[in-house]
Amino acid sequence: MARLGYALAAVLGLAAVGGGAAGMLGREWTLAVPWLVPLGGLELALDPLGGFFLALVGAAAVPASIYAIGAAGGAARGVGAYLVFVAAMCAVPLAANVMTFALAWELMSLASYFLVLHERERPESVQAAWAYAVMTHVGLACLLGGMLLLSAWTGSVRFADWRAGAPLLAAGARDLAFALLALGFAGKAGVIPLHIWLPLAHPAAPSHVSALMSGVMIKLGVYGLMRAGVDWLGGGPAWWGTALLLAGVVSAVVGVLYALVEHDLKRLLAFHSIENVGIILMGLGAGMLYRQAGLGGLALLGLVAALYHTANHAAFKGLLFLAAGAVVHATGTRDVERLGGLIKRMPWTAACFLVGAAAISALPPLNGFVSEWLTFVALLQNTQIAAPPLNLVFALGIAGLALTSGLAMACFVKAFGITFLALPRSDAAAGAREAGPAMRAGMALLVAACVALGLGPTVVLPRLAAVAAPLAGAGAPARPALGDWLTVQLSGDFASLSPLAIAAALTLGLAAPLVALRLAGASRRRRLYETWGCGRMLQTARMEYTATAFANPFKRVFDFFYRPAKRLDIEFHPESRLFVERIEYANPTRSIFEDWLYRPVLAGLHAAARSVRPIQSGSANLYLAYILVALIVLLVFA
Amino acid sequence: MTATTNLLAFLGLVVALLFVWRQSWPSRLRLFAAQSAVLALLATAVGVLAARPGLVVLGAGFALVKVWIIPRVLRRIAAGAPVRPGAPGRSSGMALLVAGALVVAAYVVMLPVHAATRLPTQGAIPLAFAMALIGLYVCVTGRDALGHILGFLVFENGVFGLAILATYGLPGIVEAGVFLDVLVIVFIMEVVVVQVRREHASIAEDRLRELRG
Repeated sequence: MARLGYALAAVLGLAAVGGGAAGMLGREWTLAVPWLVPLGGLELALDPLGGFFLALVGAAAVPASIYAIGAAGGAARGVGAYLVFVAAMCAVPLAANVMTFALAWELMSLASYFLVLHERERPESVQAAWAYAVMTHVGLACLLGGMLLLSAWTGSVRFADWRAGAPLLAAGARDLAFALLALGFAGKAGVIPLHIWLPLAHPAAPSHVSALMSGVMIKLGVYGLMRAGVDWLGGGPAWWGTALLLAGVVSAVVGVLYALVEHDLKRLLAFHSIENVGIILMGLGAGMLYRQAGLGGLALLGLVAALYHTANHAAFKGLLFLAAGAVVHATGTRDVERLGGLIKRMPWTAACFLVGAAAISALPPLNGFVSEWLTFVALLQNTQIAAPPLNLVFALGIAGLALTSGLAMACFVKAFGITFLALPRSDAAAGAREAGPAMRAGMALLVAACVALGLGPTVVLPRLAAVAAPLAGAGAPARPALGDWLTVQLSGDFASLSPLAIAAALTLGLAAPLVALRLAGASRRRRLYETWGCGRMLQTARMEYTATAFANPFKRVFDFFYRPAKRLDIEFHPESRLFVERIEYANPTRSIFEDWLYRPVLAGLHAAARSVRPIQSGSANLYLAYILVALIVLLVFA
Repeated sequence: MTATTNLLAFLGLVVALLFVWRQSWPSRLRLFAAQSAVLALLATAVGVLAARPGLVVLGAGFALVKVWIIPRVLRRIAAGAPVRPGAPGRSSGMALLVAGALVVAAYVVMLPVHAATRLPTQGAIPLAFAMALIGLYVCVTGRDALGHILGFLVFENGVFGLAILATYGLPGIVEAGVFLDVLVIVFIMEVVVVQVRREHASIAEDRLRELRG
């Protein structure tokens, strides 16, 4: 029965891919059921941008659902919520009025809340679900505030009417609406500092759900930012784009820094989602700034970079979460310090994880490289805007993106190396078994997507340009020149890229030494030796490099950010302090966002709650008197 | 018709004032039954005079639920509770004064309604509203759980009278829903009171403070 549910979700995903692709190709479609719900009724509409995100949801749901058939086995818990989750995510980009959007958004949040609560016996899951519920509803409050204000000012709850009405509003009103909507959507996208739910909630959910939450749910926050910023409100002053660009830089750098010192495999991936949302926002922010400056072509490039990275991140992060899920499924632990040697026990999973890791590290010829290159090309052309403060923001973006790319690579060297290479560090890792065929099929689909998106930008880019063109403002070419079938050519001769040529060169470069050796007559005999052990007699897993050791240099360099607290606990022999019985060393980092932002806010809330506590006297008479007084006051002043 | 409805609403209000005056629960229970009977008569009278047979049926149902079933349940709840909760010999003068003020407040609040309606029953509307307010007041000042329940029921009686007088009777489905709610509330309260008494050996108000979180 559970398998049937997941199969149904996969079919739903396929249908979403079909519908979304039709929308991207320009097919318009609307469905209105006015009597179903109050405040404007249910209204769905398909347009190119909605179509892109619908196709994205569907394309991520298919492999995740196939994987779930193998991973969940026959367990029925969570199937219903999963189906609702996928369906609601499909409905969000189609929603055409406030009520429909709010319903779909809330259904998506509630369904994912129950999925985060999957292992409700564990206190960490309950805490994660609680943090998620609070943050998502604070975001919802902001969204509803912004949407209701826009509805009141434009006199309509339909998004189509906002496009006509919102540009006529006063500047202050538009700023307020954008700020509220952006806060709500950024919270869902996991933008720093609204990210704290993300590293808690994503690891707590089952891995196929984590893949969807990280791959597409947070992208619906990006969708909202795009809709609000450049579609509903029709663009705005420079600070909108600047804010998004800076938020993107901070999220990217901070996200990857946290990921570097994280040893929980799924939490590490969750922090990388924050980083990648940051990269997407850099593209989006740059696009909005170019649009505001009247540079339609560059605005289009920024938006396309954001859309491309959105699709790419869905592919490689989905893949990485599924592979991490297979590891957790096989070993029962997410702690990389207890893993190791899995490449021999789970070769398929290791290969899939390696492809995902190379893609997220932006190594050519995989997909992450193409979109990060596009983002760079978009950011680098900022000199066409003659405003030094904005140029400085762009420069920060370029530096941040470069730093992020390097750190992400370092992080995945750690994640892959410690998890899959060397000797197993625990019995659980030593006894791991390869994932089942359904799980491997799910991962293989995403590997194919990573490779296809990496090799085929010449096919993908024109489609994405068609989606983004209506949003890029005046001066955006309807059919921009993007090169030929082999080479992507941007902004005239500014930059060009031929992934197929790179792939061919890499293949040749790798194959050439082998061929050369073969031609030179090298021996084909395999020679097996022990690993060199510095002269030690015995090699054990305890002598291996650890994730903590790998991360330590970064902790020292970014000391001001991590603020590590060193704890050294030494137990001596009772007879003599010269003999040490046990040493325990811990070097945990402290989150500046928790210490400097959330803790003071929570302390303030608690203080406010304590100050109104006298109202709760415990006397039922008093409580009833409140009702009587409120009734009379209302009646007298009504 | 005006004279009849005015008289019945006035009688209902007098019973509500007596309710404030009397403090022992057996007499309060009798007064509640009496007030319910008066209101059942009011519904029947409006039904007959305005030629609306639905209201006559409603009056009969009201009498069944509130004159017979609910007092029986309340007697079961109250079994064993002290007849006169709180300090003995305490005067009801202050409470009556507040009830009088509530009657005045009811008239003030209902002035716009009075001015806007042209029903033959309009004169009695403030009286019914005063009944509701006095019920809520009794609920507020109740010294044990039984006092709260009785106050709530008088409040509900007032709301019922108001609905009859201001609208000539709500749709049957609404009335039926309200009756069922009240009945269910009484049953729930029975369970709660029995439970509280088992835990605390009392249903006095000041003991309930211990439940505060």
